[in-house]
Amino acid sequence: MASSIARSGFRLGAAACSRRGTTSGRRGFASSAHHDDAYEAAKWEKITYLGIVTCTVLSIYNLSKGHHHSPDPPPYPYLRIRTKEFPWGPDGLFEIKHHSEDHH
Amino acid sequence: MIESQRHSYHLVDPSPWPISGSLGALATTVGGVMYMHSFQGGATLLSLGLIFILYTMFVWWRDVLRESTLEGHHTKAVQLGPRYGSILFIVSEVMFLFAFFWASSHSSLAPTVEIGGIWPPKGIGVLDPWEIPFLNTPILPSSGAAVTWAHHAILAGKEKRAVYALVATVSLALVSTGFQGMEYYQAPSTISDSIYGSTFFLATGFHGFHVIIGTLFLIICGIRQYLGHLTKEHHVGFEAAAWYWHFVDVVRLFPFVSIYWWGGI
Repeated sequence: MASSIARSGFRLGAAACSRRGTTSGRRGFASSAHHDDAYEAAKWEKITYLGIVTCTVLSIYNLSKGHHHSPDPPPYPYLRIRTKEFPWGPDGLFEIKHHSEDHH
Repeated sequence: MIESQRHSYHLVDPSPWPISGSLGALATTVGGVMYMHSFQGGATLLSLGLIFILYTMFVWWRDVLRESTLEGHHTKAVQLGPRYGSILFIVSEVMFLFAFFWASSHSSLAPTVEIGGIWPPKGIGVLDPWEIPFLNTPILPSSGAAVTWAHHAILAGKEKRAVYALVATVSLALVSTGFQGMEYYQAPSTISDSIYGSTFFLATGFHGFHVIIGTLFLIICGIRQYLGHLTKEHHVGFEAAAWYWHFVDVVRLFPFVSIYWWGGI
Protein backbone atom coordinates (compact mmCIF):
# COMPACT_ATOMS: atom_id res chain seq x y z
CA MET A 1 0.00 0.00 0.00
CA ALA A 2 2.81 2.34 0.91
CA SER A 3 4.33 1.81 -2.51
CA SER A 4 1.08 2.66 -4.28
CA ILE A 5 0.82 5.85 -2.21
CA ALA A 6 4.43 6.62 -3.03
CA ARG A 7 3.82 5.99 -6.74
CA SER A 8 0.81 8.25 -6.85
CA GLY A 9 2.70 10.86 -4.86
CA PHE A 10 5.59 10.83 -7.27
CA ARG A 11 3.17 10.86 -10.22
CA LEU A 12 1.42 13.91 -8.81
CA GLY A 13 4.76 15.58 -8.16
CA ALA A 14 5.94 14.84 -11.66
CA ALA A 15 2.65 16.04 -13.10
CA ALA A 16 2.93 19.27 -11.11
CA CYS A 17 6.43 19.82 -12.41
CA SER A 18 5.52 19.19 -16.02
CA ARG A 19 2.54 21.50 -15.69
CA ARG A 20 4.71 24.30 -14.37
CA GLY A 21 7.66 23.97 -16.69
CA THR A 22 6.63 23.83 -20.32
CA THR A 23 9.26 25.23 -22.63
CA SER A 24 10.89 28.07 -20.73
CA GLY A 25 11.96 28.07 -17.10
CA ARG A 26 12.27 24.33 -16.81
CA ARG A 27 14.95 23.51 -14.34
CA GLY A 28 17.88 21.61 -15.81
CA PHE A 29 18.72 19.08 -13.14
CA ALA A 30 22.33 18.07 -12.86
CA SER A 31 21.17 14.46 -13.11
CA SER A 32 20.22 14.97 -16.75
CA ALA A 33 23.87 14.66 -17.78
CA HIS A 34 25.07 11.31 -16.48
CA HIS A 35 28.52 11.27 -18.04
CA ASP A 36 29.50 14.58 -16.50
CA ASP A 37 28.60 13.35 -13.03
CA ALA A 38 30.54 10.13 -13.47
CA TYR A 39 33.53 12.20 -14.58
CA GLU A 40 33.13 14.63 -11.68
CA ALA A 41 32.74 11.76 -9.19
CA ALA A 42 36.00 10.20 -10.42
CA LYS A 43 37.77 13.60 -10.25
CA TRP A 44 36.62 14.31 -6.69
CA GLU A 45 37.50 10.75 -5.65
CA LYS A 46 41.08 11.46 -6.77
CA ILE A 47 41.09 14.82 -4.95
CA THR A 48 39.87 13.04 -1.80
CA TYR A 49 42.71 10.48 -2.03
CA LEU A 50 45.19 13.31 -2.53
CA GLY A 51 43.78 15.01 0.59
CA ILE A 52 43.99 11.80 2.62
CA VAL A 53 47.62 11.23 1.58
CA THR A 54 48.55 14.85 2.40
CA CYS A 55 46.84 14.67 5.80
CA THR A 56 48.47 11.31 6.60
CA VAL A 57 51.96 12.61 5.76
CA LEU A 58 51.32 15.76 7.82
CA SER A 59 50.01 13.67 10.74
CA ILE A 60 53.03 11.36 10.78
CA TYR A 61 55.41 14.33 10.58
CA ASN A 62 53.60 16.23 13.32
CA LEU A 63 53.09 13.36 15.74
CA SER A 64 56.67 12.10 15.42
CA LYS A 65 57.96 15.60 16.27
CA GLY A 66 56.37 15.60 19.75
CA HIS A 67 55.32 18.76 21.55
CA HIS A 68 56.95 20.95 24.14
CA HIS A 69 55.57 21.77 27.58
CA SER A 70 55.57 25.37 28.67
CA PRO A 71 56.51 26.29 32.25
CA ASP A 72 53.79 27.44 34.65
CA PRO A 73 53.30 31.23 34.42
CA PRO A 74 53.39 33.46 37.51
CA PRO A 75 49.93 33.68 39.15
CA TYR A 76 48.74 36.81 37.34
CA PRO A 77 45.27 37.87 38.55
CA TYR A 78 43.73 37.28 35.12
CA LEU A 79 44.78 33.62 35.01
CA ARG A 80 42.77 30.74 36.50
CA ILE A 81 39.73 32.90 37.25
CA ARG A 82 37.59 31.03 39.78
CA THR A 83 34.53 32.72 41.23
CA LYS A 84 32.74 29.55 42.32
CA GLU A 85 33.15 25.80 42.16
CA PHE A 86 32.12 23.93 39.02
CA PRO A 87 29.13 21.59 39.44
CA TRP A 88 31.49 18.65 38.81
CA GLY A 89 34.19 19.73 41.26
CA PRO A 90 37.01 22.22 41.67
CA ASP A 91 38.73 21.73 38.29
CA GLY A 92 38.03 22.98 34.80
CA LEU A 93 37.25 20.41 32.16
CA PHE A 94 40.70 20.18 30.60
CA GLU A 95 43.01 20.72 33.56
CA ILE A 96 42.70 17.50 35.57
CA LYS A 97 46.01 16.51 33.98
CA HIS A 98 47.85 19.06 36.13
CA HIS A 99 47.47 16.88 39.21
CA SER A 100 49.05 13.76 37.76
CA GLU A 101 51.59 15.14 35.29
CA ASP A 102 54.81 16.81 36.28
CA HIS A 103 55.86 19.82 34.27
CA HIS A 104 58.91 20.02 32.11
CA MET B 1 -6.81 10.39 0.44
CA ILE B 2 -3.81 11.47 -1.61
CA GLU B 3 -5.59 10.41 -4.83
CA SER B 4 -8.01 13.32 -4.39
CA GLN B 5 -5.17 15.83 -3.97
CA ARG B 6 -5.08 18.39 -6.78
CA HIS B 7 -2.01 20.38 -5.71
CA SER B 8 1.66 19.61 -5.10
CA TYR B 9 1.82 20.77 -1.48
CA HIS B 10 2.09 18.62 1.61
CA LEU B 11 -0.59 19.31 4.22
CA VAL B 12 0.97 17.81 7.34
CA ASP B 13 -0.96 15.76 9.89
CA PRO B 14 -1.24 17.02 13.48
CA SER B 15 1.93 16.07 15.36
CA PRO B 16 2.82 15.94 19.08
CA TRP B 17 6.53 16.66 18.46
CA PRO B 18 6.51 20.49 18.55
CA ILE B 19 5.05 20.54 22.06
CA SER B 20 7.23 17.65 23.27
CA GLY B 21 10.32 19.43 21.90
CA SER B 22 9.26 22.63 23.65
CA LEU B 23 8.81 20.83 26.98
CA GLY B 24 12.21 19.19 26.53
CA ALA B 25 13.79 22.58 25.83
CA LEU B 26 12.14 24.05 28.94
CA ALA B 27 13.39 21.20 31.14
CA THR B 28 16.87 21.55 29.60
CA THR B 29 17.15 25.30 30.28
CA VAL B 30 15.70 25.14 33.81
CA GLY B 31 17.73 21.99 34.61
CA GLY B 32 20.84 23.54 33.09
CA VAL B 33 20.57 26.67 35.25
CA MET B 34 19.85 24.53 38.33
CA TYR B 35 22.86 22.31 37.57
CA MET B 36 25.23 25.26 37.06
CA HIS B 37 24.11 26.75 40.37
CA SER B 38 24.49 23.37 42.14
CA PHE B 39 20.77 23.01 42.98
CA GLN B 40 19.60 19.57 44.06
CA GLY B 41 18.03 17.67 41.14
CA GLY B 42 19.57 19.99 38.55
CA ALA B 43 21.59 17.26 36.88
CA THR B 44 18.53 14.96 36.79
CA LEU B 45 16.26 17.60 35.21
CA LEU B 46 18.98 18.56 32.71
CA SER B 47 19.48 14.92 31.70
CA LEU B 48 15.73 14.33 31.40
CA GLY B 49 15.37 17.45 29.25
CA LEU B 50 18.20 16.43 26.94
CA ILE B 51 16.82 12.88 26.61
CA PHE B 52 13.40 14.38 25.80
CA ILE B 53 14.88 16.63 23.10
CA LEU B 54 16.92 13.78 21.59
CA TYR B 55 13.82 11.54 21.57
CA THR B 56 11.77 14.30 19.90
CA MET B 57 14.47 14.82 17.26
CA PHE B 58 14.53 11.10 16.52
CA VAL B 59 10.77 10.58 16.16
CA TRP B 60 10.17 13.90 14.35
CA TRP B 61 12.81 13.19 11.72
CA ARG B 62 11.59 9.59 11.52
CA ASP B 63 8.15 10.99 10.61
CA VAL B 64 9.65 13.34 8.00
CA LEU B 65 11.59 10.44 6.44
CA ARG B 66 8.40 8.35 6.31
CA GLU B 67 6.48 11.22 4.68
CA SER B 68 9.19 11.95 2.14
CA THR B 69 10.81 8.62 1.33
CA LEU B 70 7.97 6.16 1.84
CA GLU B 71 4.81 8.20 1.25
CA GLY B 72 6.12 10.48 -1.49
CA HIS B 73 4.79 13.74 -0.04
CA HIS B 74 7.96 15.71 -0.84
CA THR B 75 7.21 16.94 -4.35
CA LYS B 76 9.53 19.44 -6.02
CA ALA B 77 7.37 22.24 -4.57
CA VAL B 78 7.60 20.76 -1.06
CA GLN B 79 11.39 20.27 -1.36
CA LEU B 80 11.81 24.05 -1.66
CA GLY B 81 10.76 24.44 2.00
CA PRO B 82 13.60 22.41 3.57
CA ARG B 83 16.04 23.91 1.02
CA TYR B 84 15.25 27.50 2.02
CA GLY B 85 15.11 26.43 5.65
CA SER B 86 18.58 24.85 5.49
CA ILE B 87 20.09 27.87 3.73
CA LEU B 88 18.59 30.32 6.26
CA PHE B 89 19.76 28.09 9.13
CA ILE B 90 23.32 28.09 7.76
CA VAL B 91 23.21 31.89 7.31
CA SER B 92 22.18 32.22 10.97
CA GLU B 93 25.05 29.89 11.95
CA VAL B 94 27.52 32.07 10.04
CA MET B 95 26.30 35.08 12.05
CA PHE B 96 26.52 33.07 15.29
CA LEU B 97 30.19 32.19 14.70
CA PHE B 98 30.94 35.68 13.36
CA ALA B 99 30.06 37.02 16.83
CA PHE B 100 32.80 34.89 18.43
CA PHE B 101 35.41 35.98 15.91
CA TRP B 102 34.31 39.56 16.55
CA ALA B 103 34.83 39.02 20.30
CA SER B 104 38.27 37.55 19.67
CA SER B 105 39.31 40.36 17.32
CA HIS B 106 37.87 43.00 19.65
CA SER B 107 39.96 41.66 22.54
CA SER B 108 43.17 41.02 20.60
CA LEU B 109 43.43 44.08 18.32
CA ALA B 110 43.67 46.50 21.27
CA PRO B 111 44.68 44.41 24.33
CA THR B 112 43.79 46.09 27.64
CA VAL B 113 46.29 47.07 30.35
CA GLU B 114 44.82 44.41 32.65
CA ILE B 115 46.36 41.65 30.52
CA GLY B 116 49.67 43.49 30.06
CA GLY B 117 48.68 45.38 26.91
CA ILE B 118 49.86 42.53 24.69
CA TRP B 119 48.28 39.62 22.82
CA PRO B 120 48.54 36.81 23.73
CA PRO B 121 48.31 38.14 27.31
CA LYS B 122 51.45 38.04 29.44
CA GLY B 123 51.95 34.59 30.93
CA ILE B 124 49.59 32.80 28.55
CA GLY B 125 51.12 29.75 26.91
CA VAL B 126 49.80 29.35 23.36
CA LEU B 127 49.74 26.40 21.02
CA ASP B 128 52.21 26.35 18.14
CA PRO B 129 49.89 27.05 15.16
CA TRP B 130 52.09 24.90 12.89
CA GLU B 131 51.60 21.76 14.97
CA ILE B 132 48.12 20.23 15.49
CA PRO B 133 46.17 23.38 14.43
CA PHE B 134 47.88 23.38 11.01
CA LEU B 135 47.52 19.61 10.72
CA ASN B 136 43.80 19.83 11.49
CA THR B 137 43.13 22.54 8.89
CA PRO B 138 43.48 20.45 5.65
CA ILE B 139 41.56 17.49 7.13
CA LEU B 140 38.19 19.28 6.96
CA PRO B 141 38.56 20.54 3.34
CA SER B 142 39.62 16.97 2.38
CA SER B 143 36.43 15.77 4.00
CA GLY B 144 34.63 18.45 1.98
CA ALA B 145 36.17 17.01 -1.21
CA ALA B 146 34.91 13.56 -0.18
CA VAL B 147 31.35 14.86 0.30
CA THR B 148 31.52 16.42 -3.20
CA TRP B 149 32.63 13.02 -4.48
CA ALA B 150 29.59 11.50 -2.72
CA HIS B 151 27.29 14.11 -4.30
CA HIS B 152 28.47 13.41 -7.85
CA ALA B 153 28.33 9.67 -7.21
CA ILE B 154 24.67 10.04 -6.14
CA LEU B 155 23.90 12.16 -9.23
CA ALA B 156 25.63 9.60 -11.46
CA GLY B 157 23.57 6.83 -9.87
CA LYS B 158 26.64 5.08 -8.42
CA GLU B 159 25.04 4.06 -5.15
CA LYS B 160 27.87 1.97 -3.71
CA ARG B 161 30.54 4.55 -4.51
CA ALA B 162 28.43 7.17 -2.76
CA VAL B 163 28.41 5.04 0.41
CA TYR B 164 32.22 4.68 0.23
CA ALA B 165 32.57 8.43 -0.31
CA LEU B 166 30.41 9.13 2.74
CA VAL B 167 32.45 6.67 4.82
CA ALA B 168 35.57 8.62 3.77
CA THR B 169 33.85 11.93 4.63
CA VAL B 170 32.82 10.76 8.09
CA SER B 171 36.20 9.13 8.81
CA LEU B 172 38.05 12.37 8.06
CA ALA B 173 35.54 14.23 10.22
CA LEU B 174 36.16 11.87 13.15
CA VAL B 175 39.94 12.18 12.75
CA SER B 176 39.55 15.96 12.86
CA THR B 177 37.51 15.79 16.08
CA GLY B 178 40.09 13.42 17.55
CA PHE B 179 42.91 15.85 16.84
CA GLN B 180 40.85 18.71 18.24
CA GLY B 181 40.40 16.73 21.47
CA MET B 182 44.14 16.02 21.59
CA GLU B 183 44.88 19.70 21.03
CA TYR B 184 42.56 20.72 23.89
CA TYR B 185 44.14 18.14 26.18
CA GLN B 186 47.63 19.44 25.46
CA ALA B 187 46.65 23.12 25.46
CA PRO B 188 48.70 25.13 27.96
CA SER B 189 45.72 27.38 28.85
CA THR B 190 42.07 26.81 29.78
CA ILE B 191 38.83 28.72 29.24
CA SER B 192 39.29 30.40 32.64
CA ASP B 193 42.69 31.89 31.72
CA SER B 194 41.95 35.53 30.86
CA ILE B 195 40.07 36.88 27.86
CA TYR B 196 42.47 34.86 25.67
CA GLY B 197 41.19 31.55 27.06
CA SER B 198 37.56 32.71 26.96
CA THR B 199 37.61 33.82 23.32
CA PHE B 200 39.89 30.98 22.16
CA PHE B 201 37.84 28.15 23.63
CA LEU B 202 34.47 29.74 22.85
CA ALA B 203 35.30 30.17 19.14
CA THR B 204 37.23 26.93 18.57
CA GLY B 205 34.90 24.95 20.87
CA PHE B 206 31.76 26.06 19.05
CA HIS B 207 33.41 25.30 15.72
CA GLY B 208 34.32 21.83 17.01
CA PHE B 209 30.72 21.37 18.20
CA HIS B 210 29.51 22.21 14.68
CA VAL B 211 31.95 19.65 13.26
CA ILE B 212 30.33 17.04 15.54
CA ILE B 213 26.80 18.06 14.44
CA GLY B 214 27.84 17.92 10.77
CA THR B 215 29.41 14.49 11.34
CA LEU B 216 26.16 13.14 12.83
CA PHE B 217 24.24 14.65 9.88
CA LEU B 218 26.60 12.91 7.41
CA ILE B 219 26.41 9.59 9.30
CA ILE B 220 22.61 9.69 8.92
CA CYS B 221 23.04 10.46 5.19
CA GLY B 222 25.46 7.54 4.85
CA ILE B 223 23.00 5.16 6.50
CA ARG B 224 20.16 6.45 4.29
CA GLN B 225 22.33 6.10 1.17
CA TYR B 226 23.17 2.53 2.23
CA LEU B 227 19.45 1.79 2.68
CA GLY B 228 18.71 3.21 -0.77
CA HIS B 229 16.71 6.22 0.45
CA LEU B 230 18.61 8.72 -1.69
CA THR B 231 18.02 8.82 -5.43
CA LYS B 232 19.63 11.00 -8.04
CA GLU B 233 16.41 13.01 -8.38
CA HIS B 234 15.61 13.27 -4.69
CA HIS B 235 18.23 13.75 -1.98
CA VAL B 236 17.39 17.01 -0.19
CA GLY B 237 18.65 15.69 3.16
CA PHE B 238 22.02 14.88 1.66
CA GLU B 239 22.25 18.29 -0.02
CA ALA B 240 21.52 20.05 3.27
CA ALA B 241 24.22 17.95 4.98
CA ALA B 242 26.71 18.80 2.21
CA TRP B 243 25.95 22.54 2.43
CA TYR B 244 26.31 22.39 6.20
CA TRP B 245 29.58 20.49 5.87
CA HIS B 246 31.04 23.02 3.45
CA PHE B 247 30.05 25.79 5.87
CA VAL B 248 31.90 23.94 8.65
CA ASP B 249 35.04 23.26 6.62
CA VAL B 250 35.31 26.78 5.18
CA VAL B 251 34.72 28.38 8.59
CA ARG B 252 37.68 26.37 9.98
CA LEU B 253 40.04 28.58 7.95
CA PHE B 254 39.02 31.70 9.94
CA PRO B 255 40.02 30.46 13.42
CA PHE B 256 43.20 29.02 11.98
CA VAL B 257 44.32 32.29 10.41
CA SER B 258 42.98 34.79 12.98
CA ILE B 259 43.03 32.91 16.30
CA TYR B 260 45.73 30.23 16.09
CA TRP B 261 48.17 31.93 13.71
CA TRP B 262 47.82 35.72 13.94
CA GLY B 263 46.56 35.60 17.54
CA GLY B 264 49.09 33.05 18.76
CA ILE B 265 52.49 34.41 17.72
